[in-house]
Amino acid sequence: MKNRTLAEDFYKGLWQENPIFRQLLGMCPTLAVTNAVINGIAMGLAVAFVLIFSSVIISSLKKIFPPQVRIASYIVIIATFVTIADRFLQAFFPSISKSLGPYVPLIVVNCIILARQEAFSSKNPVGRSFIDALGMSAGFMLGLLILSSIREILGSGTFLGYQVLGSWFKPWLIMILPPGAFMTLGILLALAIQIEKKLKSRS
Amino acid sequence: MSLSARIILVLTCVGLLSGGFLATVGLLTKERIALNREKEIEEAILAVVPGASSSQKLYEGEGLTIYAGKDASGVLRGYAIHASGVGFQDKIVLMFGTNPALTKIRKLAVLEQKETPGLGAKITDEESFLRYWEEKDCTTELKLRKPAASSPQELSPSEVNTITGATISSEAVLKTVNLSLKLLKGLQLERELLGEEKDEE
Repeated sequence: MKNRTLAEDFYKGLWQENPIFRQLLGMCPTLAVTNAVINGIAMGLAVAFVLIFSSVIISSLKKIFPPQVRIASYIVIIATFVTIADRFLQAFFPSISKSLGPYVPLIVVNCIILARQEAFSSKNPVGRSFIDALGMSAGFMLGLLILSSIREILGSGTFLGYQVLGSWFKPWLIMILPPGAFMTLGILLALAIQIEKKLKSRS
Repeated sequence: MSLSARIILVLTCVGLLSGGFLATVGLLTKERIALNREKEIEEAILAVVPGASSSQKLYEGEGLTIYAGKDASGVLRGYAIHASGVGFQDKIVLMFGTNPALTKIRKLAVLEQKETPGLGAKITDEESFLRYWEEKDCTTELKLRKPAASSPQELSPSEVNTITGATISSEAVLKTVNLSLKLLKGLQLERELLGEEKDEE
């Protein structure tokens, strides 16, 4: 655990400690905004922005926070970056901001971000925290992409708004509704556990 | 430094710094965000009042905003009414255009809604809902056709179509439009609208 290389810090976010499939953190945006790929990408980028900046700032300032108020300080810092991301989307991508609705401000309470500060940035140097945040963001983005691709293709017959399935295809409405999110996530989690089992038995 | 002094100092600094930072970001983005909203409304006005190339706010109150749509030479082409009503899930914000005499609805556009995807959300769909609202006679109250007709020709001039499976959403739109029209005609009787209009031309 202690002698991890930077590459390992990055890759663990993609699979071993993938926020969505392995840690099951940040389920609220994962389920809510993955009805279209574009929303998944926008959410993934917003979370990456907040996570990377918060991790860098918190790990560089970690010594000045008295332990009693560290969580409060982390939350204020995270909320600052979330608000910046929200305003930025409203100003430059109004249509995406509209379709993400309240889920951008809700990144403040996304567990991945606070968990990485508590578990990693507050104990590790800036460089490693940056790489860790990058890996976690990439893992989160990967999860959102897989989930939203499945839901958009089956639920609307489109990918990123382009028709990919012919007119013979009758969209499965349920896939873009909340139950579709739960079912897809459940199946993907089961798959992830199976793959992990296989990997373990091989090594 | 005692622990409590340190806690106070750190929290104050964190709060002040992030507050200052956010104030700056807020100032930098404020104008653009307001501009985006205006643009969205302007686009909707020009879309629901065919022939109009510029718009002007005439009246605001009682939950609706009325705009006049004029063409390039300044002739009034119709009014655009921005109103909202309660839908199945949340507020439905819509915009519809009328002719200058207020006897016809030109077009309807739904600007904001959170209805059920695939059912109520079809109120934003041209094919299954919006096209049934074009050129409707609104001298009397509009009515809902139920069960749904399959082409605009089947409807009488003062009838609009229902979305199968989403009667509540269709009704919500109809109710908002009817209520806005009633208010609008009341205003016209008081000559508020026309009076203002004449002063300008």
